[in-house]
Amino acid sequence: MSDHVEPIAFIAGPKRVWLYVRQAAAFIAPLVLLLLAWPAIVTIFDVSPRVFPGVQAVLGAAADGLRDGTLLAHVATSLGRVALGTVLAVAAAVPLGVAMGVNSGVSALLTPLFRFFSVLAGIAWIPIATLWFGYGFGAITFVIFNAVFFIVAYNTLLGVSAIPPRLRHAAASLGAGRVAMLTEVLLPGALPNIVTGVRTGLGFAWRGLIAAEMIATDVGLGYMLFVARDFYRTEVIVLGMIIIGIIWLFIDRLLLAPLERATIERWGLVQRT
Amino acid sequence: MKGLTLRNLHKTYFDLNMGSRVTAVQDVSLHIREGEFVAVVGPSGCGKSTILNMVAGFLPATKGEVLVGDRPVKGPGPDRGVVFQNFALFPWKTVIDNVGFGLKMRGIPKPERDRIAREFLALAGLTNAADRYPNELSGGMQQRVGVVRALANEPDVLLMDEPFASVDAQTRMTLQEELTRIWQERRHTVLFITHDVGEAVFLADRVIVLSKGQVLREIDIPISRPRAWDTVSEQDDFKRLSSEVLQMVRSA
Repeated sequence: MSDHVEPIAFIAGPKRVWLYVRQAAAFIAPLVLLLLAWPAIVTIFDVSPRVFPGVQAVLGAAADGLRDGTLLAHVATSLGRVALGTVLAVAAAVPLGVAMGVNSGVSALLTPLFRFFSVLAGIAWIPIATLWFGYGFGAITFVIFNAVFFIVAYNTLLGVSAIPPRLRHAAASLGAGRVAMLTEVLLPGALPNIVTGVRTGLGFAWRGLIAAEMIATDVGLGYMLFVARDFYRTEVIVLGMIIIGIIWLFIDRLLLAPLERATIERWGLVQRT
Repeated sequence: MKGLTLRNLHKTYFDLNMGSRVTAVQDVSLHIREGEFVAVVGPSGCGKSTILNMVAGFLPATKGEVLVGDRPVKGPGPDRGVVFQNFALFPWKTVIDNVGFGLKMRGIPKPERDRIAREFLALAGLTNAADRYPNELSGGMQQRVGVVRALANEPDVLLMDEPFASVDAQTRMTLQEELTRIWQERRHTVLFITHDVGEAVFLADRVIVLSKGQVLREIDIPISRPRAWDTVSEQDDFKRLSSEVLQMVRSA
């Protein structure tokens, strides 16, 4: 998908709009197909609602949730948790990544650790998080924080150390001090990597959040799914799954991917041909 | 503007491949007068870039010192403008912001530094490129920006590290002519590093031939200015001096 997205930025005017529409259509068509096949299969095979719900039941669950406000509360809580954990993690990870990137000794020491924890990030933290913080706010924030923190720190480190020394030399010979070196060279130079790190980290965080909410809280999308299971409310489970997927697609496709593309393009890492 | 003095400059470093200490620069002393254009020429590995890096303050000298005027150099600073072989423009800044970078570091407000930057851009025929990003420009245009960025900061000394080595031959000749023209108007003190003998003789008042980290010889270039390739390349003086320098470089 993303391979086809990139060239669009270089095409202007109505042709560009048309390409967007075609891409969107190509993406949505299979989903629509699935949506059409779903009631047919449920009817033909006479699937029990305890196993899988019909379309109408899911729509009904959505209407109920919207009417009594619970659905919105779940969604808002989940998004708020991700936002909080991510902001905290980025605020901590970027300065640390920069510090590691400019100091080769520190970076040599910490790089393997950060690579290790980047891979681990997310769900694997849940058991220990609940041991340390109990069930609730602390544990969930901790899981999201870890999912984002290590990846962003590691990517910032990579971004800073990939800045050609001659750019730092150029800045120094034009009179840049330590602060200006940070704000004018190191941060902007590492920004494409930082954005990539945030995108990857948020992906882990969102999945981790849903898992954490299943065991560590009493509100949120993950909790909604988990409780519905206890009452065989498959229509609520499927509704939750659909919402989780759609929210992530929106965040990633409409927010993070364009942001990542814009920085990488602007920074000249992708040459215009 | 000030003169530049290199006093008994040494650089040795530990070569991991060879497993021993290597001498890159050995006892180089050199004085460049205020407003003089000096080119250092030599084969690769002769230590010429190491010298420039020490003068710029990017690399500490093992022994000896560098003076701008009578002030010793400690690390990089805006008194020495540097033009890099690979341009070293900030890819996230527009051309005008690249050129205004040194002025920004001095705390000059945006409208004022844009005005100054535009003046310098005009000097190199870059007026229309002001709002473009470096990756949208050809190599020749990028290096014009590199030169202008160093000049706009009004350095005492201009250090140029094989600045035209990575552009094509035609563009290189144009850039060389533009540089002599700008230099003649402004008379910067210039230390110019190159491996191209013709370039050194064409541009400089004086050529230093470097070999194995030592100064082999100095040659004055009394060719009249302004210099343009069409006329200079026909002159006997130019041909004689070029072949003289070339022989020295090849024997080096």
